[in-house]
Amino acid sequence: MASAATQSSSHRENGSADLIVLGIESTAHTFGVGIVSSRDPYILADARRQYKPKSGGILPREVAAFFSNVAGEVLAEALSQAGLTLKDVDGIAIALGPGMGPALRIGATVARALASRYRKPLVPVNHAVAHIEVARFVTGLRDPVAIYVAGGNTSILSYSEGRYRVFGETLDIALGNLLDTFAREVGIAPPYVSGGKHAVDKCAEDGRYIDGLPYVVKGQDVSYSGLLTAALRMAKGGARLGDICYTLREIAFSSIVEVGERCMAHTRRDSVVLTGGVAANKVLAMKVASMAESRRARHGVVPPRLAGDNGVMIALTGALALAHGITVRVEEAIIRQRWRVDRVDVPWYPSTLRDLSGG
Amino acid sequence: MVPVNLEGLIGWVRSLPLASRGAESEIRLGTWMGVEAVFKLRIPKAYMHPRLDHSLRMARTRREAKLLARAHSLGAKVPLLLGVFPSAGLIVMERIRGKVLRDHITSGEYKSDEFKMAGEVLGKLHSGWISHGDPTTSNYIVSRGGVYLIDFGLADKATSIEDLAVDIHLFRRAVESTHAPLAREILDHFLEGYLAATGSLGNRVVERAEEIRLRGRYVEERRRTVWGG
Repeated sequence: MASAATQSSSHRENGSADLIVLGIESTAHTFGVGIVSSRDPYILADARRQYKPKSGGILPREVAAFFSNVAGEVLAEALSQAGLTLKDVDGIAIALGPGMGPALRIGATVARALASRYRKPLVPVNHAVAHIEVARFVTGLRDPVAIYVAGGNTSILSYSEGRYRVFGETLDIALGNLLDTFAREVGIAPPYVSGGKHAVDKCAEDGRYIDGLPYVVKGQDVSYSGLLTAALRMAKGGARLGDICYTLREIAFSSIVEVGERCMAHTRRDSVVLTGGVAANKVLAMKVASMAESRRARHGVVPPRLAGDNGVMIALTGALALAHGITVRVEEAIIRQRWRVDRVDVPWYPSTLRDLSGG
Repeated sequence: MVPVNLEGLIGWVRSLPLASRGAESEIRLGTWMGVEAVFKLRIPKAYMHPRLDHSLRMARTRREAKLLARAHSLGAKVPLLLGVFPSAGLIVMERIRGKVLRDHITSGEYKSDEFKMAGEVLGKLHSGWISHGDPTTSNYIVSRGGVYLIDFGLADKATSIEDLAVDIHLFRRAVESTHAPLAREILDHFLEGYLAATGSLGNRVVERAEEIRLRGRYVEERRRTVWGG
């Protein structure tokens, strides 16, 4: 659906190399609008609102209602942070997937409206690609193995022949989903995160390692559903909650880091980045650092603000795509709930936003 | 001389020349009771809790040794198991001297019979319901005694036709990506040897492997949840 139209920006036609792109994120619980420029300081605006359920989990319909209420103010906030109007923007980037349908539709509707009204090129962005691009941008590691861990995604990715390839992934539930579901079921969440710490991390603080929970790595994939079931059964059976939280986290984190290590050995990469919402977790970041050190490899962790879902990563991926002529016609910009990362060409690789300013 | 206590043994193994280092183990070369041997040592992982690390290395070492021995008893050409020390993460096995099949193909020295023998080894494993997990041309060795299959690190007991078919799919994918111009020829001979060793079971496995290829497993079909976060 990404037609390679040749819509170069007005700035470039005016002889300036400056490329300004506004990006919209609305795949899950965050409605974010980011604005980036191909010149220092690169990130011009980062506005967002996150939907937080008072009880239970995230319901797509409620998220969509929340998004449609906040979309206008988030957009206005981003433009005011950047000191720009929509006329100054060269393109509108939109995360068309993967994600929850009702949530995606809000962002897509806003993006299509802006692109039509202001006659700006519309740039389709894959949410997972954006998590890798923001990691390559902020860590300066240009050709890494990416450990992408979030509420709904858990995969090990690396570039090969024009695309990011899935080296390994979860066979069932995602890492964030595992932690959230366990916390909810045993009654320590919501709130899932408070004071920058996940409920499971807080609970694990006085925990010790105990035997009896399953560690499942099948070749290049991990599996968490058996771990969740066993942990819940253990909690019901009266084992100390702190010990279960500690061990659950230890097994879940170790297994995804191990698959990351296998990917590094297999693809002969000497750097690794940790990205996605769960990248904010200090314990996981330490494990990744330790694994990299043992391989004498470099590592980078995306800072929490940019690791979780945000509009900046959509904008900066959109800027790279737009600079390579990747746009989509408004009437063809449909959402893709299951848009796999390995279906997306990334012709700019290994360039990052910093490399565009030279052009 | 080989020391008799476990710590001394590990120290001695780590003094042997390193042949290669994988994601989880070191491969060293030496002699074991007069036999040329390969020492596969699973290395502790600093990022894991020591108890988790130890129990995983022990379980994996034990499983690998067990499956290697079982494969041998099925008549498959695999290295002979010489010793196993689960609590140290150490497996000692016969060293197969020869050339890695991948390099053998690349250098153009290959004979079509060798692909048939490669298929036969995997077929013997499969008739005993063992999946190899990583049957690429890097894990076959062409030696004077025939074509050997090595590295049982990802091997497992198969519980379904699908488990076995994944091996065939992996071999096909590896051949198509590494030896594209010869892929058809290699696969034809490989399957001839494979079917000769497996009979009717093999036919079902190959059919299923074709289904896996057609439905584009590993690309399209794997489940993902709908959350984008």
